[in-house]
Amino acid sequence: MIATILIFPLISIILMAIFKNKKFDNLMLNACGIVHFICTLFLVFTNNCANTSYFGVDDTNKIFLLILSFVFMLVVFYNNGYVKNFKLPQEQIRNYCFMTIIFVLSMTGTLLSTNLGISWILIEATTLSSAYLIYFNKTKNAIEAAWKYVFICSIGIALAFVGIILLNISTESINSLNFNVLYTHAATFNPFWLKLAFTFMLFGFGAKMGLAPIHFWLPDAHSESPSPISALLSATLLNSAFLVIIRIFKIMEIAHVTDYARLMLLIMGFVSIFVTAVFIYHIKNYKRMLAYSSIENMGILAIGTALGGSAILAVVLHLIGHSLAKASFFLTSGNVLELFETKRIKSIKGLSIADGKTAWLWILSFLAICAFPTSLLFVSEFIIIKNMIMNEQYILCVIFVLLLTIIIYGMGKVVMKMAYGELSEDKKELVELNREKLSAWMYIPQIILILLVFILGVYIPPFLSEIINKAVIGF
Amino acid sequence: MEKAFIILFGLTMLYFASTSRIISHIRLLVGQGILLFLIACYSFGHLSLLDSMFLTAETLIAKTIIIPWFLYKVLRRTRSNRDVSPTIPHFYCLLISSLVLLAGFLVANYWITPLKMISPLHFGVAFATIIISLWLITIKHHIISNVIGFITMENGIFLLSLSIAKEMPILVNLGVLLDVFIAVYILGLFVNVINKEFNDLDVSHLSELKD
Repeated sequence: MIATILIFPLISIILMAIFKNKKFDNLMLNACGIVHFICTLFLVFTNNCANTSYFGVDDTNKIFLLILSFVFMLVVFYNNGYVKNFKLPQEQIRNYCFMTIIFVLSMTGTLLSTNLGISWILIEATTLSSAYLIYFNKTKNAIEAAWKYVFICSIGIALAFVGIILLNISTESINSLNFNVLYTHAATFNPFWLKLAFTFMLFGFGAKMGLAPIHFWLPDAHSESPSPISALLSATLLNSAFLVIIRIFKIMEIAHVTDYARLMLLIMGFVSIFVTAVFIYHIKNYKRMLAYSSIENMGILAIGTALGGSAILAVVLHLIGHSLAKASFFLTSGNVLELFETKRIKSIKGLSIADGKTAWLWILSFLAICAFPTSLLFVSEFIIIKNMIMNEQYILCVIFVLLLTIIIYGMGKVVMKMAYGELSEDKKELVELNREKLSAWMYIPQIILILLVFILGVYIPPFLSEIINKAVIGF
Repeated sequence: MEKAFIILFGLTMLYFASTSRIISHIRLLVGQGILLFLIACYSFGHLSLLDSMFLTAETLIAKTIIIPWFLYKVLRRTRSNRDVSPTIPHFYCLLISSLVLLAGFLVANYWITPLKMISPLHFGVAFATIIISLWLITIKHHIISNVIGFITMENGIFLLSLSIAKEMPILVNLGVLLDVFIAVYILGLFVNVINKEFNDLDVSHLSELKD
């Protein structure tokens, strides 16, 4: 199954290059999404998957894989409606499909890899493939965003490599980058070099995860890329980098140098939330607002990991909730962009008049992401706050809640302003014309995602609960 | 002799900090490539033939010829030679870089306990190079200068990985991948695209996206 999940995308790329047919390209992209999901179900829910020497499933990466696969499948479905509105040469659309498949393939590889070196290479591959997708619209802003993305992430990747070298120095006699080997011998590693290695790797992979203060590429890249790609970047790419950080954190845990690692994660987590709270207050572009929200949620994941204990369950739940809700939010932002042809918040009013369904999705996505009960994010954030109170970290708790409140206010203000109000005359004509561009494909994925976020907040089915519990132990 | 090469490599970073002509930076990249090859020669005895060949190809062909040649071509095409308006006067650049290099030597020699085969010199120079490069990236305004800063940082990382090449050659090969990544992507695609779109390679044009 691991071979299928990794090889099928390659075969579909080759077939696309041979046939060069518009309908076939789209068909293959859909096939990739569905096959990826089926393979994932097999890998996650059956125990007889043969792990290869460099790739494998374990308790930790199962949940990540499930999220990636599910979001990818729904994004591909959304894409069916989205691609129809492209007024571009067929060659460019084929490149878009190519790169999307390669992007998801490299993320899948990152999640499945059992070797730090392979993870590092594949994280680099995600930069390569997604940079093209960010630059897809070929506007000046898109070039700027892609350049910043490539440059900052390359520096991050280079720093992560320094971290890998330092990790190797700390291991003394073990010359392997296999995670299991590293876990087994972690207790013997030199703490000084290990701490230094963790710092570099946290900054390196943290740049890719979007943790402040190395998040500068994120708002630009997320706002300039096509909406389905923004959804993939936010809901899956950031998670891939997070998984690598989790694995390195586990090495620190086994080596008994967690105090340092926890402090680093806690600082970066709070700085991320702080940065979001500062910037989201005067935000002018709604896609950038969603990007900042991703930085905030990555910060919450870092804080949860740093707190440990029961907060780890919150991290897993938050991971699921954020990916589903944010994918829905970004996909809906694609609908808004199609309707109004602008990303400026000032220019948009009366979304509920322009298109009721999009307006509902817009508001529900906001409620899901701002942890309105029964959203899954409500449960996760509640557990984190409870954990802080139980550990008597009252000051942290107050700062955490205060910053989250500012962010919710900032976002809520924008979402409500866009959703309600009167539609101006000049916009009415534009919206009438553009409404026909939105097909059923561009609503159904978000409905499924939002329904899931709100249902999982009150009921987690036993099969998923088992995966979550295993992930909590595996973290 | 290996130590002399490493010290020379460290000194090239001071030259980087004290000049603003991009063409001399490119020449210096060639010099760094040759120095890295000479340093790498010392680990050949411990490596397999394939790894040694890989290292030679990487240092002599990629680092010394292809990347500088590519940069030179871009420079010719864009007709830009001097890095306009550096933020800090050269004297201070030189001073700060020297201090970082000195700190690298001191920290590596007196503060940390070296493990494995790493000599303090290797470690100190490599780290100072990485830090000076990162700092130079932040104060330069020209995209080619930024790319050169990135490449020198990568050279520093390569030097660090060479120090453990004997035990784990795979790490050096990973470092090579990083090089290919820069050469193909950053130089090949983006610098050309940016130049075509903006008719200039000044980073200040790339500041539209902000909050």
